Amino acid sequence: MIDHISSPKHNEGIWLWLYKILAGLLVIVVLGIHFVINHAVAPSGLLNYEDVIRYYKVPVIPIMEGFFLVIVVTHSLLGVRGIVLDMNPSQKVRRAADWIFTMFGATAIAYGIWLLVVLANR
Amino acid sequence: MSNHPTPSNFWRWFDPRNRQIGYWAFILNRITALGLTLYLLLHLIALSQLSQGAAAFNSFIAMAKNPVFKVGELLVIAAGVIHGLNGIRIALTSFGIGTRYQKQSFLALMAVALLILFWFGQIMFFGE
Amino acid sequence: MNVEKWKVTFVVSRQKNQEPRLYQSFQLEIDPDEYVLDGVERIWAFHDRSLTYRHACHHSTCGACGMLVNGVEKLTCITSIRSVTHNGGTLKVEPLRNFAVVSDLVVDMSNFYTHLEAAQFGQVASLAQAALPHDADTRSVTDGEFERLVDCIECGLCVSACPSALTSETYYGPAVLAAAQQAFNQSKNSALIHFADQHDGAWGCHSAYECSAVCPSNVDPAWRIMDLRKKTLAYRIKQLFRK
Repeated sequence: MIDHISSPKHNEGIWLWLYKILAGLLVIVVLGIHFVINHAVAPSGLLNYEDVIRYYKVPVIPIMEGFFLVIVVTHSLLGVRGIVLDMNPSQKVRRAADWIFTMFGATAIAYGIWLLVVLANR
Repeated sequence: MSNHPTPSNFWRWFDPRNRQIGYWAFILNRITALGLTLYLLLHLIALSQLSQGAAAFNSFIAMAKNPVFKVGELLVIAAGVIHGLNGIRIALTSFGIGTRYQKQSFLALMAVALLILFWFGQIMFFGE
Repeated sequence: MNVEKWKVTFVVSRQKNQEPRLYQSFQLEIDPDEYVLDGVERIWAFHDRSLTYRHACHHSTCGACGMLVNGVEKLTCITSIRSVTHNGGTLKVEPLRNFAVVSDLVVDMSNFYTHLEAAQFGQVASLAQAALPHDADTRSVTDGEFERLVDCIECGLCVSACPSALTSETYYGPAVLAAAQQAFNQSKNSALIHFADQHDGAWGCHSAYECSAVCPSNVDPAWRIMDLRKKTLAYRIKQLFRK
């Protein structure tokens, strides 16, 4: 029983946790940029369609937003996953949850990138 | 309700009675995390209006100027600011920085959050 | 000499044989400068001999008498009645949270003790290693190698207050992680890093700091968990480069 306690489990814990913290800090920075540029700098605060389209023509914008999308989605889903893990689910439930989170995240990111590409090409 | 650890006790994560300030921080962080995740989903869905063209997006923006909507947005900003500032504190203490002052730093950061919130509220509801 | 007496209603949790919990009230006339544990003892002695509770040293060294007093984790042998209620008031006594109840106020601490052993908890340390680094040096003698018992009395109040221990039976909990940190300080045994480097170890903590808030013995487990995280991270990063 003592062996079971001290043997390392599979590779989650430290690196995902560390990524979540670093991603969180990055989110703060990029969210700040996202917010300031989108609402204080961009014309009309991006509150109409034409301004949004013109804004997304500037190449750095879709790139910044795409990066933002990835770190926000991963930070958020890692966090919710942490809450699920707190409830000490069985191996089966945990694997199912991980799969759902991965699918959710991949879909959100894919959809977001698709939207960025569509807007940049309008 | 069970006295030994079980997942069904999870509602007690959000029960602040008889707990001290670190626990309040934990509760706030968890609630804002869930709220912000929900908001993320809504925001991504709302942005799909952009792909539907000018009319769709512009009418969505018109709806978003409704005061009820703005109150919701202010709540999102509150959640974001609280979660972000608290997160910085957690990041720092997780590396052993400022662990002994975590109570004071939490209170100070929440005071900052309140100030930012008032500033935003003023801009959103009363113009700059 | 007139000893002040208060009328206090003790509301005590009763639970036998996995039946649902019941609360039983006992009216006591008691000196408010006595301790909650004294009140519980009087109830056992003069009112109901079927009440089960744990106690031993009565001076905050053994860690046996931890209970929930008015919803807050307390070591009942050093919690005066005066500090938790008033004359004519009530005093609610319940078993610690996050442990299965064996009977009334007694909880099952066996997993707790097993994990403490796995954490290589050494109860004796040099003065320097036993103290928290951020505590003022209270030694009056500074030369020579002196040792003392480390602060943790294994009372389990920290586990009762911990939100992660609320929902996960396998989470090691603050006392065990604090013990691992204390042991690592003394032995520098890397097996302890592996021990802590688990989802159920140091990464299961959510920084609620409630453990340190209720600890009656100045262990500061929250600080120790963060210190363990720092050490684990440093170790893992060094390992990356060693390969």
